Amino acid sequence: MSEELAWVLQAQQGSDEAFTRLVETYQTPVYNLCYRMLGEPESAEDAAQETFLRAYQHLHRYDQKRPFATWLLSIAAHYCIDRLRRRKFAMFSMDAEDEDGNSFELPDPDSPDPEAESVKGQTRDQIQALLKDLDDTDRAAIIMRYWYDYSEAEIAESLRLTVSAVKSRLHRARKELAGLWQEEEMRTNTERRPHESPAF
Amino acid sequence: MNHQPFEEWQLNDTHLTPTEKREFDAHLRACAHCAALTETGLALRSARVVAPAAGFVMRFQGRLAVQKIAERRRRLWGLFVLILAGVGLIGWIAAPYIFAVISSPVEWLTAAIGYFLYLVTSLQAFGDVIRVLGRVVPDFIPLYVWMVLFSTLAGLGLLWTISIWRFARVPRGVAV
Repeated sequence: MSEELAWVLQAQQGSDEAFTRLVETYQTPVYNLCYRMLGEPESAEDAAQETFLRAYQHLHRYDQKRPFATWLLSIAAHYCIDRLRRRKFAMFSMDAEDEDGNSFELPDPDSPDPEAESVKGQTRDQIQALLKDLDDTDRAAIIMRYWYDYSEAEIAESLRLTVSAVKSRLHRARKELAGLWQEEEMRTNTERRPHESPAF
Repeated sequence: MNHQPFEEWQLNDTHLTPTEKREFDAHLRACAHCAALTETGLALRSARVVAPAAGFVMRFQGRLAVQKIAERRRRLWGLFVLILAGVGLIGWIAAPYIFAVISSPVEWLTAAIGYFLYLVTSLQAFGDVIRVLGRVVPDFIPLYVWMVLFSTLAGLGLLWTISIWRFARVPRGVAV
């Protein structure tokens, strides 16, 4: 029996210490998935914590035939997808008022955010900026494929999709990312041009 | 521009022969779309794994403790409301009888004995009917009907047991 399975069994029997070991082991993969899905460190922290709480509460439902990581990341992915859907719903249904009833302007998702642009430039993590434009489920599939090397069958199992649906989602998402990448490159080139020296 | 088969090669992570590789490189120089597909593929494969801020496990333990306290409090409140509602309902049903007993005890006692005798005689009569039916009916009912009847009863019993087990079971993570 693997050490991980032993921890799972102990945790299922009520050992908080064993569950803590599992949290220690999987905190980074779960957090990374949440961060890649949600795009903000605060939301990612909250989502990762919530993922572990849900895993703790539903540990009796865990099927030991499946890898624990797949089960855990599946919870995280579904939680993030739900959260993004709620966020979108809130954006559409919100009456553009704050808690005091004052109106405010919703930020334009297409307008450049100076802070985000600066951070993006510093970290060179351009792909993160492009991921947010993908469909939520497509994004989850891409993250599982490229950050966790999941096979199409494993992604299908985690996201409750068919293998062919996963394949088509991955292809669509890759093409969309390439399109966004091209647009970004063109925009960057256009912005750079006015500052270039006439000598060049 | 025709992107096939270069696009499919990339999307399916196809292993290329040297000839295919040369064709692919030549296509990339001319096709911005496929070049972008390659660049995003490389970016995805080289993207770093982001770790949480230090102390994640401790923060989780704190959150779990808060959750357990909240769950315990919720259960206690639920129990309290349930008991209060039960006592209120019983009180509401029993109030007229209690008032009757207090105002005229003899009259109530006579009525209660009358009801008790009525109940006992009714039960006796019902028992007699069941006994007679028990002697007569089996001769009229074929064996398969009995089998269906007992199977249904056994199924319902099993369903009831499973329901009780599911409702009574305390989920993990909830302090008892």
